[in-house]
Amino acid sequence: MLELRSLSLTLAWRNIWRHPRRTWLTVSAMVFSNCLLVFMNCLQAGMYQLMIDSTLDIFTGHIQLQAPGYLDEPDIRKSIPRIQSQAARVREELEGVAVSARASGFALASSDERSYGIQLIGVQPESEALVSTLPGLINQGRYLQVSDQKTVVIGSVLARNLKVGLGDELVILGSGRDGSMAADVLTIVGILESNMPDIDRNMAFITLDYFQDVFFMQDSGHSIVIHVEDFSLIATKAAQLNRYFAQNDDLVVLDWETLEEGLRQAIEADLVSAWFIYAVLIVLVAFSVMNTQLMSVLERTREFGIVMALGVRATHMVRQVLLEAGLLATLGLLLGVSLGALLVLIISQTGLAFPGMEEVMGRFNLPDRLYPELTLFALFLGPAIVFMSSMLAALYPALRLYLLQPIEAMKVA
Amino acid sequence: MHRGSVSTVFAFLVASFAISSSAQEPNARDILEAAISQWRGTSSYSEMTMIIHRPDWQRQMSMRAWTKGEDHSLVRVTAPARDAGSATLLNNNDMWTFAPNINRVIKVPSSMMAQSWMGSDFSNREVARSDDILDEYDHSLLKTEQLESHLVYHIQSIPHESAAVVWGREVLQVREDHVVLRHDYYDQDDRRVKTLLTTDIAAMGGRVVPRVQRMTKADAPEEWTEIQVNAIDFDVDLSDRLFTVSNLRNPRQ
Repeated sequence: MLELRSLSLTLAWRNIWRHPRRTWLTVSAMVFSNCLLVFMNCLQAGMYQLMIDSTLDIFTGHIQLQAPGYLDEPDIRKSIPRIQSQAARVREELEGVAVSARASGFALASSDERSYGIQLIGVQPESEALVSTLPGLINQGRYLQVSDQKTVVIGSVLARNLKVGLGDELVILGSGRDGSMAADVLTIVGILESNMPDIDRNMAFITLDYFQDVFFMQDSGHSIVIHVEDFSLIATKAAQLNRYFAQNDDLVVLDWETLEEGLRQAIEADLVSAWFIYAVLIVLVAFSVMNTQLMSVLERTREFGIVMALGVRATHMVRQVLLEAGLLATLGLLLGVSLGALLVLIISQTGLAFPGMEEVMGRFNLPDRLYPELTLFALFLGPAIVFMSSMLAALYPALRLYLLQPIEAMKVA
Repeated sequence: MHRGSVSTVFAFLVASFAISSSAQEPNARDILEAAISQWRGTSSYSEMTMIIHRPDWQRQMSMRAWTKGEDHSLVRVTAPARDAGSATLLNNNDMWTFAPNINRVIKVPSSMMAQSWMGSDFSNREVARSDDILDEYDHSLLKTEQLESHLVYHIQSIPHESAAVVWGREVLQVREDHVVLRHDYYDQDDRRVKTLLTTDIAAMGGRVVPRVQRMTKADAPEEWTEIQVNAIDFDVDLSDRLFTVSNLRNPRQ
């Protein structure tokens, strides 16, 4: 039995090399598409993780606790009471997370010359840097300190628009939690540059304690931001939080996919359009395999007729032809994956630049150079699909053998 | 020069046509214009109460307001104590706010005109220029109905392409004695967004005016802002100085 199998294998191997040029052409189609799929999948994997990391790490965090409805319609009154102590409780209860509380409101920021509508964020300076990279992106001056009063850190574009610099005054005007006018004169102590237009143009940061004073928030705030150290544990931590706050109906647990719906949708849309193109590629490769196998079967019709007449069953021949296709596909898979992996390894050292795409990339907070990420999944997903569709394509030429009549077949020249 | 005189003649013809047509049927724009001038007069001084109502809280403010012509107005808040002294000035297209606790005047940028005024259901724009509707909209008379002893005109106003407004159209119900009974705001998809409803009409300062008006959001009937006019004088003598930024900062009233 074993001998027979190794005999079939030897036969199959010899058969595919009857026409080395044809075989190489078919294999190279597979290698090319596998190589491309490996590279693109790794590039996408790297890009998506980068998009997720950079968007979430910069400000949003992985999980947030908010008052119900605040996400859809932010309203200063939809707030979480005792926010500092609730944040401290989360910090104690959960392992492997960083936690910081924020409050947020709309305000008019005004310098001597100009006014702009901005998002004013109250943060806990002692823990904000653990959930957001913004405190580290100070370009001039310093970030907020715990004891700060009447000091503000603003985005670089806002500073430019308002024509203000370090040490200058910034007047803020907004509505407090009770609807009354909230206004104060702040001193700019820091200017940050994140290269994210939304942040640099529209945001200013003050301490949470001071925000609560100015906007008459008492002890309340709007979000508890949680950064999970291990990205794969986000769902677990969110479930833990849900259990923990099950009896609180004044706050909801939101994971990043809910918080940054646009990000998730962008990734999905990109994935769908990319796979549409890959599908076309895979179908073309499959047809090329089908063509090769069909030719190889047709040119051996006489041969098949003879072995059939000698008593070999059609099933055996079908298996033989499928084995040949399998060898072909395996060859394409191995070479494609190795070449693809090599390509990924090389590019992951140098990075890949997209000239002219800076603006689009900036929207998702991506650097101007992308680095593909080599993962087993991204490495084998595409080639595995090519392998399977090649085998599917080989079914037609192989199954035709069942219809073969020995006498007729032997008559074929 | 030549072209100018032709277009003047043309304008005259159009105008005379408009006048002759209005003889049969009241002109929608004229009705609106009359309603607005009834309300504003050439100048006015009023004392008002604003109630902002939300399901879980309510807030009441008292204020005094001066208006002159079509595009000058000044509103000063007198109560509650925390907001007393804060004021809003409108001069043509420009709007400024005065914050008394920091003694600063802040110019409201045009990009903020759609934002809520003092946390109410009125936007800055609505507080600023209720007469914008005359020139930046096309008006048509939808229907005329008899309500008790009065005729009521339903007027549809659709903003020009170039008008800087967020609404798709507005529908006003104006009584024949120039009192606006109801004002509906529709968005670009023709959904009603909010409604300003007159709930009390009184003769004040020698004119019949809406004394109490309530702005309600269509999708949240529990959220509304009511304006009650406690006293109003029309055609008072107001100096132009009243409507300047320096006066906003240093109240002499």
